[in-house]
Amino acid sequence: MSRFGAKKGRKLPGAEFTWDNDPSGEADTAPTPLYPKYTVPRARALTTREQTQVDLYRALRERFHDGPYYSVLDPGSSAKKAGEKVKASRVHFDPFHGMPSYSGKYQKKKRGIPRLLGRPYVMKYFPRDDLWGVIQPSYKPGTAVDGYVARMARPTFKRGFEEDEEEEEEDLGKRRKTGDEDDEGVDNDDLLEGEEEQDEEEIIDDDFSEDDDEMGGDYNAEQYFDGGDDEYGDDGFGDGGGGGDEDTY
Amino acid sequence: MTSQFAGELCTLLVDDNFGELFARIFSTLVRYDRLSLARLKFYSRLSNAQLRHGLAAMIQQHLVFHYTSYDDGVTYYEPNMQSAYYLIRSGKILEFIEERLGKYAATVMSTIMFLGHAQVAYLETIPELKNSDPDVNGPNEDNEEYQEFGEQNGPKEHEADERYQEPKDELNGLNGDQSSIGNLALLHPTLKALAGHGYISRVRDAQFQSYADNVLDSERTLKARPDIKALKGKKLEEAVVEGTLNLLKERLDGDLTRGLVFNGIPRGAKRRHTSASEAPNKKERLDYAAVDEDDVEEENEWSDDEFGEDTVPMESGITVRINYEKLDVALRNRRFLELAERDSSSVTAEVYECLLRRIEYQTMKCRDTTEIPREGEEGEQYSVPISLRAVVEEIDPLLDLAGSIGPMEVSQPISRRGKRPLDDSMNGVGHEGTNGEQSEGNRTYEVDQHLCLLAQPPYNLTSKRIVSGLITWTVEFRHLARKLRHLELERIIEARYGDVALRVVRVLHEKGKLDEKRLQEISLLPFKDLRQVLASMQAGGFVDLQEVPRDAQRQPSRTIFLWFYDPDRVCNSILEDTYKAMSRCLQRLRFERSRLKEFLEKTERSDVKGNEERYLSEAELALLEQWRAKEALLLGEVARLDDMVAVMRDY
Repeated sequence: MSRFGAKKGRKLPGAEFTWDNDPSGEADTAPTPLYPKYTVPRARALTTREQTQVDLYRALRERFHDGPYYSVLDPGSSAKKAGEKVKASRVHFDPFHGMPSYSGKYQKKKRGIPRLLGRPYVMKYFPRDDLWGVIQPSYKPGTAVDGYVARMARPTFKRGFEEDEEEEEEDLGKRRKTGDEDDEGVDNDDLLEGEEEQDEEEIIDDDFSEDDDEMGGDYNAEQYFDGGDDEYGDDGFGDGGGGGDEDTY
Repeated sequence: MTSQFAGELCTLLVDDNFGELFARIFSTLVRYDRLSLARLKFYSRLSNAQLRHGLAAMIQQHLVFHYTSYDDGVTYYEPNMQSAYYLIRSGKILEFIEERLGKYAATVMSTIMFLGHAQVAYLETIPELKNSDPDVNGPNEDNEEYQEFGEQNGPKEHEADERYQEPKDELNGLNGDQSSIGNLALLHPTLKALAGHGYISRVRDAQFQSYADNVLDSERTLKARPDIKALKGKKLEEAVVEGTLNLLKERLDGDLTRGLVFNGIPRGAKRRHTSASEAPNKKERLDYAAVDEDDVEEENEWSDDEFGEDTVPMESGITVRINYEKLDVALRNRRFLELAERDSSSVTAEVYECLLRRIEYQTMKCRDTTEIPREGEEGEQYSVPISLRAVVEEIDPLLDLAGSIGPMEVSQPISRRGKRPLDDSMNGVGHEGTNGEQSEGNRTYEVDQHLCLLAQPPYNLTSKRIVSGLITWTVEFRHLARKLRHLELERIIEARYGDVALRVVRVLHEKGKLDEKRLQEISLLPFKDLRQVLASMQAGGFVDLQEVPRDAQRQPSRTIFLWFYDPDRVCNSILEDTYKAMSRCLQRLRFERSRLKEFLEKTERSDVKGNEERYLSEAELALLEQWRAKEALLLGEVARLDDMVAVMRDY
């Protein structure tokens, strides 16, 4: 039923509310009818057995929370890009509780990255290429661990969306300068953090991204609308301005 | 189980237990299913260090499958929904273990859960397992503590305790260093008991790959074999299917019960009843001396055996993990037991429990197929038959069996049918000679009576079989699982739409598809009520309407409308609803926590925690108490919903 087809005396939807019908009349302000009475179902009280179960669950959860794996995401540490990082952490700053205080030293420490050291692992259960280096920092690719000799390393597949070599290099340099203070950094992993920006830029259909650094402010139609300010500004000023405050990470 | 709400629920559970980082990785994997590290990194927007540490820890906790493909060497990650889901069942499992094997076993279990999987050698070094009892070297104090604890549980705790003390005592005698070695001696028998019951299993490589990957992998291995290559066509297919199943079984098999099971009873399980009858109740025991004679003898040879075995520690190279499949079997049995308790005497229930326990020892998992079976398509599947004698042995000799079934003379004619063969065999075996034999025979007969009682409709909780002349009892699990499902559905329907609806649904279930007229005739309801109820149930998706046109025009007037009720469909949608409800509960919990965030952080401060009374004000203490009750209620509700999920999905 289209509005424009409503000829033969049929009112438009909502027509009863227009002022034209009754210009002098008052709007009907009577309260709309209430919802009918509704009995809210209530849960039974827990039996003792259920109570024990819940308590055991909570105890185990507590244990997980105190354990080495429980880790939270800092707002702004990874959800946003490096350039926005500072901004984001300021946005999320809580003026009432954010300032360090004496009692803060009792506050539960939150971990950003699970701590893997401090217990033995069975290496063969983990994928070699990706994770062995993390679990056992002394691991060098190509050597045998636990008597388990790894296969020959294969050349990794290169895909369109993965990082470009030279940009990564450049990025590495950038990150080194900032001096990332991460005690968990077992190897250079966290220095590679910048990659994600690269990935993202590759996905955006942006034919000119390669040229940006050399050609300065070249006109890029692809970027006309999508907020050239942050990405572009990041590329331009990231080396100088964005570096200093990295320790918020 | 890859629906939206299941994914949401699992993510919330991971979040609740392990924090945001895990949840982020997990939710990304749930959304995109199978990702290489680079893609995962891109989608999850995490840093390299976060991602790799997170993934390693998640693999340790079995939350993520990984698979390195042979073709390109890239490792792919997949979420392990099943084990993420089992996080919610941890409380239930621990409570169950505590009841069955004692507090220390529950501690060991929760430590293994906490570690994901662990080598036995590493478990030995964990302080909690060493010093869980502050007063280890005094078995007497120990005993008291247990008694206090086990008061409502009756003698069971005591028995379990008894069992642990003995190896300890022996070792204490041998060498002076009591505290550490005494407890290690506690650890190994406990691990053995857990392994013998099948509650923990060995970790295998293949368990880290998803089931589909494992299937493909073993198919590939098989097809590369020369003898398979020689086959062609249909034969090839058959051989591959069969071989795959075998290979999978072999690869995934983490069974640790071998060598720990003796006569169908795991090590450590047997002593419980005998020791119970020995220690606390010497007096009653005299009355039953004749009955026990046989038992005692057996026990002696048994205990030698056990000691010889028990002092040999568990192999320290083994990596163990929780065997959830087996625990499902145990929890399912508990569920059946509740069903039995509902309308039979407590003694009967206890007899049933003994039968179920014997069956549990030999049942590895709830069903053979991984997917939820459809209503009519699952065959009858009986459990292993347990001989009547074994059940009698299992039953506590002090249990008063005769009290709850009427006097013999009266009960005999009633159950004449089921009992006929029993009489014969009893006459053949039992009734020759001494009084003791006589009383044992009587006891066997009574147990049989109890089991007969359970075999009655509507539930048919047991069924009797005669295997080569011996009476054995089995449980028809598929039938019972289905029954449980139906009861659950009926309960929901009754709660939502009232008893009229329940009647209609039962009629439809019984008769299949019916048109309105017939339905009304059978269900004896006025048209108005019937239509109302049918319409509202159709809106809820519980019943549906099929149109059968009588001619090609499909005019409504010349069409037959048939109502039907499809339990499978309803089950699936209820399952989804349940996932949703559970995740809503958890979300609510999270919200409630965020409302009290500041306060809760205060209670978690390292100085406040543990001595709340000292640092918190009265009002704060009240608030804390209130919060704990609220949290318990929500978590308890989730646990109840989990019971439903278990019925619909796992049993």
